[in-house]
Amino acid sequence: MAAIPAERYTGASIKRSEDPRILTGAGRYVDDIKLPGMLHAAFVRSPLAHARVLSVDASAARELPGIVAAFTGTDLEAMTVPGPDALMALLGGAGPTPEFTLLATDKVRFAGDPVAIVIAESRYLAEDGCELVDVEYDQLPPVTNASFALDPSSPPLFANLGDNIARPHSRNEFGDVPATFATADRVSDFRIDVHRHQNMPMEGRGCVASYDGGLGVITVYTATQSVHVSKIAVAMRLGMEQDKVRVLAGDIGGSFGLKIGASREELAVAAAARAVGRPVKWVEDRGENLTTSGQAREESFDVRAAVSNDGDLLGLDVNMVIDTGAYPGMGTMVPGIVEAMLPGPYKLAALGFESTAVTTNKASYVAYRGPWASETFVRERILDLIAKDLGLDPLEIRLRNAAPRTDPPAVMITGRPLAGVTTRESLERIAQLVDFPAFRRRQAEARAQGRYLGIGVATFIEAAPGPRSPEVPSGPMGTEPMRLRLEEDGIVTLFTGQMPHGQSHETTLAQIAADEFGVPFEQVRVVTGDTDVVPFGLTGGSRSATMAGGVALHGARQLKAKVIDVASQLMEASAQDLQITDGQVWVRGDPASAISVGEVARRAATGRFAPGLDANLEVEAAFDGGEGGWSGGSHCAIVEVDVETGIVTVERYVVAEDCGALINPAIVDGQIRGGVAQGIGAVLLERSAYDQDGNCQSATLMDYLVPTACDIPRIEIEHLETVPLDADVNFRGVGEGGMIVAPPTVVNAIEDALAPFGARIYEQHLPPARILELIAAADSGQ
Amino acid sequence: MVEITLRVNGTACTGPAEARKTLADFLRDDLNLTGTHLGCEHGVCGACTVIVDGRAVRSCLMLAVQAAGSEVTTIEGLAPDGGLGVVQQAMWDSHSFQCGFCTPGMVMQAVAFLGDHPDAGEQQIREALSGNICRCTGYQSIIDGVLLAAKRSRGR
Repeated sequence: MAAIPAERYTGASIKRSEDPRILTGAGRYVDDIKLPGMLHAAFVRSPLAHARVLSVDASAARELPGIVAAFTGTDLEAMTVPGPDALMALLGGAGPTPEFTLLATDKVRFAGDPVAIVIAESRYLAEDGCELVDVEYDQLPPVTNASFALDPSSPPLFANLGDNIARPHSRNEFGDVPATFATADRVSDFRIDVHRHQNMPMEGRGCVASYDGGLGVITVYTATQSVHVSKIAVAMRLGMEQDKVRVLAGDIGGSFGLKIGASREELAVAAAARAVGRPVKWVEDRGENLTTSGQAREESFDVRAAVSNDGDLLGLDVNMVIDTGAYPGMGTMVPGIVEAMLPGPYKLAALGFESTAVTTNKASYVAYRGPWASETFVRERILDLIAKDLGLDPLEIRLRNAAPRTDPPAVMITGRPLAGVTTRESLERIAQLVDFPAFRRRQAEARAQGRYLGIGVATFIEAAPGPRSPEVPSGPMGTEPMRLRLEEDGIVTLFTGQMPHGQSHETTLAQIAADEFGVPFEQVRVVTGDTDVVPFGLTGGSRSATMAGGVALHGARQLKAKVIDVASQLMEASAQDLQITDGQVWVRGDPASAISVGEVARRAATGRFAPGLDANLEVEAAFDGGEGGWSGGSHCAIVEVDVETGIVTVERYVVAEDCGALINPAIVDGQIRGGVAQGIGAVLLERSAYDQDGNCQSATLMDYLVPTACDIPRIEIEHLETVPLDADVNFRGVGEGGMIVAPPTVVNAIEDALAPFGARIYEQHLPPARILELIAAADSGQ
Repeated sequence: MVEITLRVNGTACTGPAEARKTLADFLRDDLNLTGTHLGCEHGVCGACTVIVDGRAVRSCLMLAVQAAGSEVTTIEGLAPDGGLGVVQQAMWDSHSFQCGFCTPGMVMQAVAFLGDHPDAGEQQIREALSGNICRCTGYQSIIDGVLLAAKRSRGR
């Protein structure tokens, strides 16, 4: 046997290719782009949540030296092609389409709604110009919460909708809901609220747009999760052919769902750049990011649970209302995913689910890391509430309800098979990692000293990618393309539609391709972020590990076969006898025969081959997710609540996770820890707050608090042995799980800590003031 | 406009600065040192941290004119030979970062802190970095990087 490389890159914590540039300040983020003659944009924004726009006068701004142009909403409409929001048009949202303009024209719908754009020689001057734009408003009553939005008398945000219902009420039933509830031992009612919070990536939105009038081409440098989705939006709105639009992205400073496609502001900047004939940059400031870029969650759930006296969760009947903010977008699609995922990994036999999406005078809904995460919060919260009523242990009630792993697999009542789900294993592993009896003893001792410790457990599954099932023949997440090419210097280039913004794809995809093709890791390049060269794609929904990882593997295999076919002729050897290792093609058993893959590529480019041999060393691969599978796991938190100050400290946090085969353990752990940190922040700190007039109260990082290094404990992670479903590709997505399950884990722990006060918690946001209220309410017997 | 002279990464720089221009914008726009990032422009997130006369400073809260006559070090000046400094190398080895936007400020803060506190332990390091926000990592990998850098520095 010839020598086989002992080590594989896949599965090892290879150091990131991205880091040398990032650590030296040489990363290229959108605000680092400078083009000759570049101008700067700033937006005039509404100070009111809901008002008619009577007039916009930008004449004084236009006269200020250094101001190049100022456009109102009406100007922008004349400069562009009217139509719905491009992302909504792409995704095909149901129901009537609300009026959509780049800038507000006749009406503003949230405090921060853009009204005019000012283009100037510098950002400082552009902001000066904004001060001089005079807007007259006629204030309307603001609709600042869902219950008012549901009231038919509330003033409609969109005249063409006639009310504030963004997606009409619907009800679906799975299993026999009436019979389940009629025969259950107990039926309990809960109202669970999830508050509004938001992505807050370190880098906000931004773009630089440059129009070449001679070629009729617009180039947009931006921060986006998909350059192609941005390109489609620009082409639609600017009325340009798609091949005349090029969207580029470099390093991106985080997103977590915020930067999907081109925002209204980015489209306005592109239109303005075309109009003025000079490049225009806009980078939002933190105030704009917090008040206008978008916010997530804010959902309420009226839940009835049918339960047996032994603790079996038999059925749920849920009424969900989601507050999608001013301009309906993805928020209207979230209830459908919540419905599908609500049973989780449990044997739930019946589910009634109704939902309504409303529009309000707040920043628009955007995706945020696990947009459907409330299904896990609701389910894992009520399991603890039920356990308390029945005197059951939180681990016990979960193990009792978790579907066993059977062949064929159990099927969620909403339809998807729970193939390979390791929920029970993860709960059992948590019980081994955390000594519950010892904790209960310590908890009792601490309580005797007036200290309140609590432990919480929660579990989740994520369809990343989800199981293959007959109902979706195209695969659980559609198809992921990739183009791969062997360059003449031996570099294997991967052109991917993935658009990493912290996920480290330059490293992980190279690891997989290097192993499969047989070249050193350093010999693989991953190309992203240029619509002229990369295929369609999107980084989001935790799809990259399986989908891009899978296509990297299959594509490298195809490319390798092609290289071997060419080498077979060059080397006059049978293809079956050739192998590629360490960048060399050689005849098995004859190391002296080796030639480099670069040599093969050079000779392929110039050589003559027998008819029928394809010597173009490039492949266009596609992957449909294979057999797919679930990501999932269980988390456990131990907290201490200071009942004098209301401050919660997370003392210990343990994760037992199954995200399939690991590509790069350090990167996987980073994804999990980052998600958990955001989940801890969501519970203890973060809230996108509005006053009764619709003013955003969390417009700075002193008001919108995110966790610091002192707020997040060391997070212990155990990876479970996974159940492989596919022959080759068992990498599963891990981007969202931490953020999905950390909130119920932490809230469950807090409720446990407050058990001596009899506190019951029905909400997700528990800052110190709220903790003190819960204690006071319990003290006063409410 | 005020003509200012300062030393940045060991090189004397002279240029006009509008009185209201922040040091961060001067570094980024006038000196093309775009490694210094702006994450909030109100002094909370720490992404724009640079070292001015030996102290970690938020360059979004300092005017360029206030830095006249000062010695400024930015992320680009940490390892002028094109390599990585001790903190940078330790952070690479520790998989400290993800999106990289907070990185320059976090690195500068860590360099300044370790310079004054070479024997710092984990809790001290957490407190020292608590004014620098990272949204991606949950901080553990960053803390591990700083601990590793401290250990390596002490071992010299």
